[in-house]
Amino acid sequence: MRRVIGSFAVCFAIAALSGCGPVIWQRFTLNQPITKDQVAFIQNGETQLSEVARELGSPDEILNLKNRLIARYHFIDTKYFRINFGWGLRFFIPYYTPDLVLSGGGAGTDVFDVACDSKFVVQETAFAFHKSSSRFNLWPFAD
Amino acid sequence: MHPLRCLVLVAAGCLLIGGCAFVRGTYGEEVNSMDLSSIKKGTSTRAEVATVLGAPERIVEVNDHEIFQYYRFDMKSGLLLFFSRTNVISEDVFVFFDANGIVQDIVVGKKKPAPDMQFWPFGE
Repeated sequence: MRRVIGSFAVCFAIAALSGCGPVIWQRFTLNQPITKDQVAFIQNGETQLSEVARELGSPDEILNLKNRLIARYHFIDTKYFRINFGWGLRFFIPYYTPDLVLSGGGAGTDVFDVACDSKFVVQETAFAFHKSSSRFNLWPFAD
Repeated sequence: MHPLRCLVLVAAGCLLIGGCAFVRGTYGEEVNSMDLSSIKKGTSTRAEVATVLGAPERIVEVNDHEIFQYYRFDMKSGLLLFFSRTNVISEDVFVFFDANGIVQDIVVGKKKPAPDMQFWPFGE
């Protein structure tokens, strides 16, 4: 009987931790990062924007600048961790559930910019890396 | 198998499944190649493009050129116990018009692979 109760306790613990439970690790990504090798084919002053799109996929955004445009490829990687130390108190205090939540995370973004002239010929390209800011942060009080 | 053990296994299975969610979502229509091939550079007008592809989600103006942007997002999300991961792939289509409203260029990327259905948030 003790084993059965123990098994139910394990099942209960799993259920308690699932979904909206006290602990969750979440991750959200938009697109796949573009590497320098993938963009090596681009020749400034020669390659057309449509050729870039054929190789890398269509851009996510086109910005209007004076006499030129910038096609932007976005990659976002967001990580988030949350723990609620007050979650278990709901079993002892039925009408009020206090929360003590520690959570943290970060969103890392990579952007690949393709600057084109008015004829959509690539003039410049650049990466903007901030990918390292994406991490599960267990302790929100650090500097 | 002992009935109690069987009951425990069924209960455990139900609880585990209760903590699962698998979600698929899309935004925007996937533009098919037949529609795109009917748009001709140098001849098709804004109205013809709008007839084939519908009204664009966004219009950008660059040096007297209008650019129609059509959004397309594909999302898969998995939740298992306390791990959750959501992957989104974007595949927009851009149609460039000259100052007279005639199609100058169409920017359609190569078909990206569909997003993976994952729940494990660690690693790459």
